[in-house]
Amino acid sequence: MSSESSKKRKPKVIRSDGAPAEGKRNRSDTEQEGKYYSEEAEVDLRDPGRDYELYKYTCQELQRLMAEIQDLKSRGGKDVAIEIEERRIQSCVHFMTLKKLNRLAHIRLKKGRDQTHEAKQKVDAYHLQLQNLLYEVMHLQKEITKCLEFKSKHEEIDLVSLEEFYKEAPPDISKAEVTMGDPHQQTLARLDWELEQRKRLAEKYRECLSNKEKILKEIEVKKEYLSSLQPRLNSIMQASLPVQEYLFMPFDQAHKQYETARHLPPPLYVLFVQATAYGQACDKTLSVAIEGSVDEAKALFKPPEDSQDDESDSDAEEEQTTKRRRPTLGVQLDDKRKEMLKRHPLSVMLDLKCKDDSVLHLTFFYLMNLNIMTVKAKVTTATELITPISAGDLLSPDSVLSCLYPGDHGKKTPNPANQYQFDKVGILTLSDYVLELGHPYLWVQKLGGLHFPKEQPQQTVIADHSLSASHMETTMKLLKTRVQSRLALHKQFASLEHGIVPVTSDCQYLFPAKVVSRLVKWVTVAHEDYMELHFTKDIVDAGLAGDTNLYYMALIERGTAKLQAAVVLNPGYSSIPPIFQLCLNWKGEKTNSNDDNIRAMESEVNVCYKELCGPWPSHQLLTNQLQRLCVLLDVYLETESHDDSVEGPKEFPQEKMCLRLFRGPSRMKPFKYNHPQGFFSHR
Amino acid sequence: MEQASSSLSLQAEVFQALQRLHMTIFSQSVSPCGKFLAAGNNYGQIAIFSLSAALSSEAKEESKKPVVTFQAHDGPVYSMVSTDRHLLSAGDGEVKAWLWAEMLKKGCKELWCRQPPYRTSLEVPEINALLLVPKENSLILAGGDCQLHTMDLETGTFTRVLRGHTDYIHCLALRERSPEVLSGGEDGAVRLWDLRTAKEVQTIEVYKHEECSRPHNGRWIGCLATDSDWMVCGGGPALTLWHLRSSTPTTVFPMRAPQKHVTFYQDLILSAGQGRCVNQWQLSGELKAQVPGSSPGLLSLSLNQQPAAPECKVLTAAGNSCRVDVFTNLGYRAFSLSF
Repeated sequence: MSSESSKKRKPKVIRSDGAPAEGKRNRSDTEQEGKYYSEEAEVDLRDPGRDYELYKYTCQELQRLMAEIQDLKSRGGKDVAIEIEERRIQSCVHFMTLKKLNRLAHIRLKKGRDQTHEAKQKVDAYHLQLQNLLYEVMHLQKEITKCLEFKSKHEEIDLVSLEEFYKEAPPDISKAEVTMGDPHQQTLARLDWELEQRKRLAEKYRECLSNKEKILKEIEVKKEYLSSLQPRLNSIMQASLPVQEYLFMPFDQAHKQYETARHLPPPLYVLFVQATAYGQACDKTLSVAIEGSVDEAKALFKPPEDSQDDESDSDAEEEQTTKRRRPTLGVQLDDKRKEMLKRHPLSVMLDLKCKDDSVLHLTFFYLMNLNIMTVKAKVTTATELITPISAGDLLSPDSVLSCLYPGDHGKKTPNPANQYQFDKVGILTLSDYVLELGHPYLWVQKLGGLHFPKEQPQQTVIADHSLSASHMETTMKLLKTRVQSRLALHKQFASLEHGIVPVTSDCQYLFPAKVVSRLVKWVTVAHEDYMELHFTKDIVDAGLAGDTNLYYMALIERGTAKLQAAVVLNPGYSSIPPIFQLCLNWKGEKTNSNDDNIRAMESEVNVCYKELCGPWPSHQLLTNQLQRLCVLLDVYLETESHDDSVEGPKEFPQEKMCLRLFRGPSRMKPFKYNHPQGFFSHR
Repeated sequence: MEQASSSLSLQAEVFQALQRLHMTIFSQSVSPCGKFLAAGNNYGQIAIFSLSAALSSEAKEESKKPVVTFQAHDGPVYSMVSTDRHLLSAGDGEVKAWLWAEMLKKGCKELWCRQPPYRTSLEVPEINALLLVPKENSLILAGGDCQLHTMDLETGTFTRVLRGHTDYIHCLALRERSPEVLSGGEDGAVRLWDLRTAKEVQTIEVYKHEECSRPHNGRWIGCLATDSDWMVCGGGPALTLWHLRSSTPTTVFPMRAPQKHVTFYQDLILSAGQGRCVNQWQLSGELKAQVPGSSPGLLSLSLNQQPAAPECKVLTAAGNSCRVDVFTNLGYRAFSLSF
């Protein structure tokens, strides 16, 4: 039973058709026996067209049967059921046919699909193969092209030409008989030869390198030897110093000075050289030295590429300033001014020693951008000087060298080109800065060899030795006389302020023994105040009262008579005499405009000053003039004719011996003193 | 060594400026042709100015400078007169003569130099005044030795000596008609001398007259001018017009400052002295005009009345400065010549 049930269980399909049932059984049989009913095989056997016809016929039959059933049903009746049943069975059979046909159709479809699929697969495989082959072909083609394009390195090597090759190469390389015919072999041979040559050259190169190394080592050794020599020489120099000092030949010191002198700018260098030469040749009291920082000087004069560095520095600075808060316009202008007025770090110092051990220290500076030199002066004395009040300006550094040469007041720059430079940075005049920079006197420029001709402005003014040399001696002499005369005045002023006119013994003969009028006051007067005085108009109008002069007021008294004397002291004292203007207050005010005798007194000291100069260098001129004024006042007062209408004796009895009291149409008093007779007469 | 010479030249410049400031021009004299003016100063120099050049229409600054300047005397040139060919100058005790025609050339030398016989030897007295007496062709000198000397111009000998003054003589004037010489001196007296008899004829002691005396100024007579019957004199006492015959002062001119030079001109009296101005007086005593000059005090006036040069008819005044003022019209100062 079980085997039968299992066999029966397998086909689930209920087939009412006889044929399929057969098939069913057959199948189970084939399972056991290997025989089966294959519907697929049946498909191949049947004709699709006939199946189609069968389908059509079956469908028609079904339709007919259905219609008949319909009819029968609608008619109704007893026998209808049997006919319906019959027809029903027929329709069922037709249905079975239809199913089979459907199955066959499905199978045919499936088969067709399978076949298509297979064919497609084959085609795909071929297609793939084709593509693979095509790729391979392409690849190979590329490779071929690459191979064809391949350039061997050997072609880049410049080989020697064929002729040369055959000439130079040794036969075992060139192998002429082989290479001639075969270009490949020829090239190989040539390459061999090339290699050979290169090897040889490399060998040579190595040899040369080693040679060079040897020679370098030798040089090193010699250099070390030389550098070891330098300290030894130095020590010899040091050792010789005491000998130098002993023999008074300070070569070392001079040598050092010359070393530093190399860094001086040209005008200072000219000055240094000329001054040293002059000092050695003519004037032992002159000593020259260089002050300042040599390193800074070196920093200024590096080779030109440093100027680009400077520019880049200044650029960097500018960038910095833009990053920080920008300084005000005034500060920028100030900086530009400072830059324009910058001094060279080195300066030359000259010391002039005078007979009485006082020294004039002159420091010369060079203003680089303006191309002029300036000087600062200082006077030191052997003993400490107590400066009298009126002598303030005599030795002050600002004015001691003023007008050393006439008109050289040192307040304006001597270089006309500087004016344009000043306009750019808003400097009005150099005189605002002379206190710190020093005075740009003309003689200073001449000593530095700088000449600024007014008529033909030159492009660049260069320092000229001959100019400096021609002015050196005169200038030095003038400087000395200036210092000495100022010092003499200094001493005299101290005495004058105490009311004593210091007359030296060798000038005593100019004056009578007894002088009654006394100097009671000696003060300085400002230039503007001098111009305002009513009795100095003539001097001012004659152009003799400039602002470079020094002005003083002396007061001489006798009894009720007061004589005021306004003094103009030219910086060129004592070659230029001091000029006096008088005003006498006695029985009215008398000046040169209303009293001929006052005029004569002025003439006695102003015009006849040469008698009062005293022995050279005539430092006594001023004091002699003052003493003479006192004598003149005495004469004036004593010789005044007595007014008969006024009662009482003369205020000043005549004590002077005079030949005549009046002379000439102007009725002059006898102002001239005669030595040694001691009487007064007229000129 | 330009600077050495420039400081020397500055010295020279300053000295020159000082000299000019203290210069006094004492005397003037017009050339016989009328075209030139000679001026003498206190340094003994004489400068010749060309009046015709200075007055011409193309006059430049150089025309106001002297044509030539030379050192004539050692002392001041107190007095000068011109004859028809010569210039006579006198100063420190001697008289020198110069030829006008020669003087315009540089380096001219004096024709002659005479010194009158002086009594004193200690000091050489100055000659303050020169006077020409055309009728006798002689020259009268007077000055520091209180005497009048007469010198014959042709022979050069000193003919007379007139003594009488007690103090030195300032000024001389000639009274043509008589002929008499008036002299005024430091002693305050005006003395009249007869030339023929060589004696003092009249003495007027001006200071004794109250109208004109001014004791605070002194008694000295500085200037004299005479118009035969009339005389005007001034100095310490006031400027006064005198009638000579009666020796009485008729008009006293109210001028406070002492006058140093006075002259008759047409119907006016011109005077100058201490003070800047040239004063013009009417004979009645009124001040007609006061024309200021350029010098603080004036010592001499000169009227160019030479007939040969009518275009140079000017009044020149000089004194306590180096300038000679030229007045073309008496009303104002036209310009100044300068040493």
